Amino acid sequence: MTSIEDVTRLSASLGPRALRRTLGRIRSSETAVGLAFLSPALLSLLFLRIYPTISAISASFHHASLLLGTSSRWVGLDNYRFLVHSPAFARSVLTTLEFVAVTVAIQTVLALGIAVLFTQGVRGERLWRSLVFLPTTIPIAVSTVVWGIAFRPDGVLNAVLGALGIARQPFLTSSQQALLSIVVLVSWVGVGYWTIFLIAGLREIPTEYREAAAVDGAGPMKTFFGIVLPLLRRPLVFVVVANTIANFLVFAPSQILTRGGPDNATRVILFDIYSQAYQVGDRGLASAEIVLFLILLLAIVAAQFRFLLRHSG
Amino acid sequence: MRARFPLRPRLLLSIAAAGVGLLFLLPVLWMLSSAFRPESEIFTYLSPLSVHTILPKTWTVASFTAVLHGGLPRTIFNSMLVGLATALLGVVVSATAAFALAVLNMRFRRALFALVVISFSVPFDILAIPLASNFRQWGLANSYAGLILPGLANGLAIFLLRQFFLGIPVELKEAALVDGAPWLRIFWSIYLPLTRPALISAGLILFTFQWQAYLWPLLIATNPKIQLGPVYVAGLSNLYAVHFGQIFAACVLLCVIPTALMLYLQRTFTQSVATSGIK
Repeated sequence: MTSIEDVTRLSASLGPRALRRTLGRIRSSETAVGLAFLSPALLSLLFLRIYPTISAISASFHHASLLLGTSSRWVGLDNYRFLVHSPAFARSVLTTLEFVAVTVAIQTVLALGIAVLFTQGVRGERLWRSLVFLPTTIPIAVSTVVWGIAFRPDGVLNAVLGALGIARQPFLTSSQQALLSIVVLVSWVGVGYWTIFLIAGLREIPTEYREAAAVDGAGPMKTFFGIVLPLLRRPLVFVVVANTIANFLVFAPSQILTRGGPDNATRVILFDIYSQAYQVGDRGLASAEIVLFLILLLAIVAAQFRFLLRHSG
Repeated sequence: MRARFPLRPRLLLSIAAAGVGLLFLLPVLWMLSSAFRPESEIFTYLSPLSVHTILPKTWTVASFTAVLHGGLPRTIFNSMLVGLATALLGVVVSATAAFALAVLNMRFRRALFALVVISFSVPFDILAIPLASNFRQWGLANSYAGLILPGLANGLAIFLLRQFFLGIPVELKEAALVDGAPWLRIFWSIYLPLTRPALISAGLILFTFQWQAYLWPLLIATNPKIQLGPVYVAGLSNLYAVHFGQIFAACVLLCVIPTALMLYLQRTFTQSVATSGIK
């Protein structure tokens, strides 16, 4: 913008019409340069995002199966109609929603608690923060495999429970506990990541606010809920939304450990799409699921950006 | 400035913080100890719990030797190659995009910014399955290019670099423009050198994305020669004859590289990630 102001000053003698033309020309030339700079990103956008989206939409209106080979036939909204009436799809959606709700609630509360604890001027804070962050850096497939062994009936978790006098738990082999076991695993992975955003948010709250509250005789609880939490709204909303999106796409634990079972208890939506496409071989149905899922994610992302833009600066 | 709640015994809070940190470390310690003990002893010292649950009674690197003579080194090499190539090329893609969106006075700049950041904010995995079909048609299946390309454009990296570019005083750009410097020179000699920590962070984000990827390499790299580390490890646990010691050793090796990078660059990384998310 300021460069335009410079030019304005330089060409002030040219008169309004000539000036507008000059400014327009500079803006067009910067637009051209800008598009050149943007072109690698725009090309990846086109080939890696838009093209597969269009091919998913197109495939969702076709029926293609392993039996039909490479040919496919137009079926209109049949795939969508099938999904709407499919109890298996509904079950998979509900499983995913349950997983996301429980995981986001647990992770947000834990991350907030840890962030508050770590900003009390505790000794060795950087080291403890690194340890909590460490699982985030481990590939999800690795964490999944390690926790999978820990969850075995003869594994280390049951040994710990045994030492505490608690009976053996079936964990991944039980349709009641399998999904919650995966919640534990992904929370170990994720909490440290979200803690960092909340620590950054807590550090930005001016100490005067809390001091003023203390002078007014507010206790720690009142200060936290009355002052700290409202001021932390922005990072908290970011954490909740970003974490929701991340957990909607949980896949590796269901694929590596449980294959969606036992009794479809861990058949989350992305695993359902994967097995629909690769095991059942029904690309049309898988694509219809992808399109519906994509609309949901886009809506969440758009809402997130609207919120962040509205509350920025 | 330290944020503090009204006086509380600092010592108790410090102990609680240490407890939390160690609790998160525990699974990693167990993984390490299981990798360094004889395979026959992995499930031995569990009940009753003892020091040897977490500390091997006999130390051995047998599991590492075994796993290093198998298919793992190749897959680690593949993962490194894909991660580094993605980081290098991806920084170019992100930095040029961020430069256009932050510095150049373009028409439709806001709209382009929204388009780029929002579309790259939708997690890639949802499009992995249709894109895998596209890539097979384009002859990119089982190739390094096929593994690298989807990681190149990263919304977080673009967003982060744009924030840092916006922080560079415009006077520098104006002075260069008055001297008649071309935009490419302004980008290369002013903006890039002044944002090195952000560029490193962006590279790290891109590397980590690839190092952690699972669904995409599972779909597109089915040939063992091109397979990536995480897919290989997941496959080990699904074999008929499961060697737990080797699984743990492979897991340790796959953790060491990003962890070392992360601890080394933690400061710049955590700071910039936190800033890019909420500012």
